[in-house]
Amino acid sequence: MDQYSILGRIGEGAHGIVFKAKHIETGETVALKKVALRKLEDGIPNQALREIKALQEIEDNPYVVKLKDMFPHGTGFVLVFEYMLSDLSEVIRNSEQPLTESQVKGYMMMLLKGVAFCHENSIMHRDLKPANLLISPTGHLKVADFGLARLFNNDGERLYSHQVATRWYRAPELLYGARKYDEGVDLWAVGCIFGELLNNSPLFPGENDIEQLCCVLRVLGTPNQRMWPEITELPDYNKITFKENPAVPLEEVVPDTSAQAVDLLKMFLVYPSKQRISARQALLHPYFFSEPLPAHHSELPIPQRGGKHSRQLVQPPVEFSVDLPLAESLVDPALLQCHAGTL
Amino acid sequence: MFHNSSQKKSWTFKNEDELEQLRHKANQKYRNKMLASGKPAVSDSLFLDLHEEEVLFRHYEKRLMDFCNAFKPVMPKSVVGTAIMYFRRFYLNNSLMEYHPRTIMLTCAYLSCKVDEFNVSSTQFVGNLVQESVSGQERALEQILEYELLLIQQLNFHLVVHNPYRPLEGLLIDLKTRYPLLENPESLRKSADDFLTRVTLTDIGLLFPPSQIAMTAIMNSASRAGLSMDSYLTECLELKDNKEMLSKMYDTMRRIKTLMKKYELPKPEEVNAYKVKLERIHAEFGTNTNLKRKRGYENDGHVAKEPRMTEEEWTDDDLDDL
Repeated sequence: MDQYSILGRIGEGAHGIVFKAKHIETGETVALKKVALRKLEDGIPNQALREIKALQEIEDNPYVVKLKDMFPHGTGFVLVFEYMLSDLSEVIRNSEQPLTESQVKGYMMMLLKGVAFCHENSIMHRDLKPANLLISPTGHLKVADFGLARLFNNDGERLYSHQVATRWYRAPELLYGARKYDEGVDLWAVGCIFGELLNNSPLFPGENDIEQLCCVLRVLGTPNQRMWPEITELPDYNKITFKENPAVPLEEVVPDTSAQAVDLLKMFLVYPSKQRISARQALLHPYFFSEPLPAHHSELPIPQRGGKHSRQLVQPPVEFSVDLPLAESLVDPALLQCHAGTL
Repeated sequence: MFHNSSQKKSWTFKNEDELEQLRHKANQKYRNKMLASGKPAVSDSLFLDLHEEEVLFRHYEKRLMDFCNAFKPVMPKSVVGTAIMYFRRFYLNNSLMEYHPRTIMLTCAYLSCKVDEFNVSSTQFVGNLVQESVSGQERALEQILEYELLLIQQLNFHLVVHNPYRPLEGLLIDLKTRYPLLENPESLRKSADDFLTRVTLTDIGLLFPPSQIAMTAIMNSASRAGLSMDSYLTECLELKDNKEMLSKMYDTMRRIKTLMKKYELPKPEEVNAYKVKLERIHAEFGTNTNLKRKRGYENDGHVAKEPRMTEEEWTDDDLDDL
């Protein structure tokens, strides 16, 4: 602990306080997540163990928050992460104008790369939501908070808790009490986040668990065995019945959105988990290869923590085109200036 | 995946010498610390030597395994494997004289349950110390929780252990689908499983990747049943034209089997003699005090507290009838 000097408090995480601190030797700014062991009867909380497990086993990836170090401290321990300026929920909340299509694509691409990486390493995150997608000083999006993450294996044996994921982003099988599920729960959450970026407001803002299910059914239609064969096996399927309700075309749910965006969104928001498009496949969707192209990370907004000094771009982001002279497509160096210190 | 795991990076060693050296260092570190402490009655003959530590280690490791196997509800094999691996990793860098194996073994099992998502409550866990009174179980739990953080730290926060059980399943599936020469691959399971159980009580898991251990288990099981599976290696695994790899594979299997044969249960009379030494060391120089009351333990130099009588400790006998 003597190696760090605390600069301030960033916030309170699921299992501990997060501080901003400086590594004295290198001068590097980091985030320290203190995991205190107040509730001592069961020792170190499972959530903390899961986070350590997940983070220790994955290699560095630009779209996953890096665990730099960890050490015991007092009656608990401290996780040292790279320092992040903000998170996606603040970006959504702060942007006075909605994000441009190109910016949404930029975020989605980074999110999908992070999620693909986790899934390829057999980690399901189980709690993807805008607040867990941190924004680095260079505008990169990084998946964080592995407190609910767990390593999955495909033997389909173990039972998991269905009380995972923040409600708005919780997959329908979880809402029906599924104890066996897969990385599809993350892909559902990705769909919800995608919709939220497109609309600038949450897609399924349920006030409670039942209403959450209603929100989903209202859009996707009442599920039946034909469209979702596994539904009859879900624990809570028989506990609750809903009025027959046809699906609403997604075009109406996310209005003023390109056909390609709607097409991709549809691929995430389907009832059977196995039919959801994988993160790796989604990255190959034409959405990411058509105009306007995904924004470069330097063209993305970087609001400050606390949201007071939201730094929006002065210029609209540059649109890239093969027909334009190269010079015009280049990022204005002035835009990069403010990031120079962090590069 | 194993190939980018902390197990491969930090806990797979080149050879037995390397392991021996680490254990020697741990033993030496404790001796030096005690000799430097300036305490009266510290003399070289008091300490356990490497062989004595090793005998006691094997004794407590076997107890750990028995405890896990008698556990209710039934503990999955991978949880047992992880617990024993934690125990091995812990004493690679620490002396039994410093931390009593009786507590560490239970802490390993407790942590393994949590890490492997085998969810039992703490009371349920110590409820498995069937010989203990309720208050004895509470004391045991108190010690487990006291040492949990130390254990994690000594494991370098590397909590995921890759056991050979999943690769074994994978190999069996592969045999069933791609190796028709073998009529009934399932018949190999029992003896391969037993092989893997015995592997956990050796250094094999610290020296070889789990897939190769599982392969050895299968091959061994086959040869015991009088079946030759060499063509599985040459044809199915396409090692026919890769002589170097093939001979490496055979060499690995030979080394694993040699290590297996070397294992023997510690002799009771040896165990008893060394236990007396161990208990004496812990009674006289034990740091067996409440760690929680200390201000953190990020400093390596553990404060040696005044000896405490063992009367409120639960003893080995409590584990006897497991």
